[in-house]
Amino acid sequence: MELSESVQRGLQSLGDQTVLDRCSFPVVVDACFRSLLFSRGDPAVLDLPELKHLDKILLKQIHAAATTFILEAVKHNADKSTISFSLEELTFNTERVETFYTTRRKVSNSIFGPPFSFFFMSSSIGRGPAHIKDVSWRLQYQMKNGQLDKVNEPFYLISLSTETGGASEDVDFSCTAEQLQDLVGKLKDAAKSVEKASQV
Amino acid sequence: MMEEVDRILIHALRQVGTEVDEDVDSIRQFTSELLVEGVVRCIRVIDPGLGGGLAPSLPPGMSARFRVGMSLAQACQDVGYKGEIGYQTFLYSSEPEIRSLLMFLVEKLPRESAEASAQPSGKSAVLQRAIAAAIRAQLDLAWVPPNCSLPLHCETQSGGVLNSFYTQPLSSPHCTKGSEENLKEVKEYRRDVLPPVTAQFSSSASMVASLLEQHAAELSAAQEWDGEWKSQGLLSRLTPQEYRSRKLARLQKRIQEQLRSAAQPSSESAFGVSRPASDLMDVLQSFRASAPTEHVLKKGTHFTHTQKFTFTQEAAAAAAVTPILSAQESSGDVQLRQQEELSALQAQFQQLCSDVDHLAADMRRTAVTHAQVLDELKQRELGNTEKEEKLQVKKKTIDLLPEADNNVIQLQSLVEASAKRVVNLASQWEKRRAPLIDEHRRLKEICSRQDLDSSRKLSEIKSLHEKIHVSTEEAKKKEETYKQLLTELESLPQDASRSAYTQRILEIVSNIKKQKEEITKILSDTRELQKEINSLTGKLDRTFAVTDELVFKDAKKDESVRKSYKYLAALHENCNQLIQTIEDTGTILREIRDLEEQIETENGNKTVANLERILDDFKAIRQENAALAAKVKEG
Repeated sequence: MELSESVQRGLQSLGDQTVLDRCSFPVVVDACFRSLLFSRGDPAVLDLPELKHLDKILLKQIHAAATTFILEAVKHNADKSTISFSLEELTFNTERVETFYTTRRKVSNSIFGPPFSFFFMSSSIGRGPAHIKDVSWRLQYQMKNGQLDKVNEPFYLISLSTETGGASEDVDFSCTAEQLQDLVGKLKDAAKSVEKASQV
Repeated sequence: MMEEVDRILIHALRQVGTEVDEDVDSIRQFTSELLVEGVVRCIRVIDPGLGGGLAPSLPPGMSARFRVGMSLAQACQDVGYKGEIGYQTFLYSSEPEIRSLLMFLVEKLPRESAEASAQPSGKSAVLQRAIAAAIRAQLDLAWVPPNCSLPLHCETQSGGVLNSFYTQPLSSPHCTKGSEENLKEVKEYRRDVLPPVTAQFSSSASMVASLLEQHAAELSAAQEWDGEWKSQGLLSRLTPQEYRSRKLARLQKRIQEQLRSAAQPSSESAFGVSRPASDLMDVLQSFRASAPTEHVLKKGTHFTHTQKFTFTQEAAAAAAVTPILSAQESSGDVQLRQQEELSALQAQFQQLCSDVDHLAADMRRTAVTHAQVLDELKQRELGNTEKEEKLQVKKKTIDLLPEADNNVIQLQSLVEASAKRVVNLASQWEKRRAPLIDEHRRLKEICSRQDLDSSRKLSEIKSLHEKIHVSTEEAKKKEETYKQLLTELESLPQDASRSAYTQRILEIVSNIKKQKEEITKILSDTRELQKEINSLTGKLDRTFAVTDELVFKDAKKDESVRKSYKYLAALHENCNQLIQTIEDTGTILREIRDLEEQIETENGNKTVANLERILDDFKAIRQENAALAAKVKEG
């Protein structure tokens, strides 16, 4: 996990005992996590009574660095050892690293299950194809049509109910038995390739 | 013991791709088909060129089988197998032969290539493994109906709300290097107005994206600067600030030149005015397009400030114009009048343009003449000053003329005094000059030495930079491989336990050691026995010789002694024979043991069964031949 110079400087100030004393450190860390998850767009996240004595510019710098670090950690799916290694390199002592980590866990626990909230936040960026939620089908039998007097062929009417980004949509189509067989074969192939891809 | 070996061999064969059944766990259970397949696959891995021509299965025809066996034996010998091998090894297999052949082949298997193919290193491999792990995790999840899905399932099974990666520029509270950080206003803005980074966005998704993007941009900028500084900055021998400012100046100059050259054609012709102007508008438009939406706070550079200013002004002007226009649009004849006015104005505009053109040409002409006149004036002024100097000299001489003699003498003394002074000064100068020149030389030398020094240090610094780069790369690579290996270790199946094997090997080694000790003990025992035997035979010989001599002496005198001498000789003879017999018995016993061993091995070779099989096969070949002959006859 590479960190830019400004982030490093901000985190160093966060870990510096002379800048933040033992009381204000957890408050700042908590504020950083909270600002990412709960108080979106609230400019008053850092206006806390415990932090009145701090220089506002420095506080904002620390906040920017810490939030960036948290997001980078989420992006890299960093585990505890990576996070603590990075923080220790930036002159954090073990106690502060521990505080950082427990705050992370505490904050994320309070909404969903364990670290899903951060996971959620980062994975909500991107795009994906529609998911198939359900299928309904009907078998019809065509006896004749305008051109032919005798057709006598069965065909399937299939309706896939899909979902993209919370919005549902139905995909309807009709196919003959062979086409359906073909589709099923293709789907099986796809499933098999996914399975193969998971065994690299 | 052998089971262990067999298990390793079967494991290796499975890895090569042979389909060995689960219930086969020793070489004894190998059929000819299995053996042929295993050997062919091994050879294919060892030497793809050689193994490519070999079929991994036995054909049904007997003669074809024989040929396959021959070619396989040849291939094994080509690979380097020294043991006895032929078609019979494959068709009429005996356990020890197969074992030794398979052991040889498995040892020959290229270990590194197998390892390399098993664990390709590098970032892409890590990524692929991560992808595979993610897919596996998703596959392991059980499907649940969409109505009761948990947050975890949103990701994989119903696709929660997705936002595209949309970034917004954000104003960072960090000081950028430059002059602006010292400004009081900037500091005040940062302290009192600037909201924290998380409060600068309208939605959380764009916040995450923007923060990540900002960080990535900073990182890449730092990297770029690093690369440039190492390649060019160091060579320029400037401090980073100087280098930056010089680069800035260079860039500004280039921009100025570009702008000037772009602006040049506008003065060429009046109609040309519209084109570059529109170009400029395009440029401005593109700037505007890249500018962010209004509610986002911007980095307060000078340029964007002016940009914003002009933009808002324009907007205000447009706003002022629109109501008038809408009022005028109401009536039709007003439009007509407007058109007339427009054409009149256009004509006027054209007129004015041509006027401007004329005037510009005039101005250029006058400017040229003006410059010429200025030049002339300067030259005249120069001539004037020269002439004035001459005039003054002449004036002085005229003043001196009335008392010529006196003045001449005075002048001469003056000249002499000044000559003396010149000489004096020259000598003084000489005195001063020598040390100064020395000093100069010394300083020059120091200078050149320092130059050398600095260039040497520069090269050192460069090499150091390179070293740092290389070692960081290496460290990164090693860390990656370490991680990869760790994950691999975790994912490795635990059944082939290494420690058990090593323990086994250690046990075997200690056993062998013990056996070796015993062997040496026995050897030394035998040697001692041999020695004893030797000494005993020697003693016997000597005693016999002495006795023989003594008895022989007495035998001449006494008849009974002669008899005893005879007995002695007979005794000696008989004893010798006895010893000989014992030795013979020993050798025969050894031979018997050898033969027994041979019988054992022959029994192991399943000779009888094999002979029967050979007979059967022989019959099959005969039948085939007969069938072929019949076919030929028919044909």
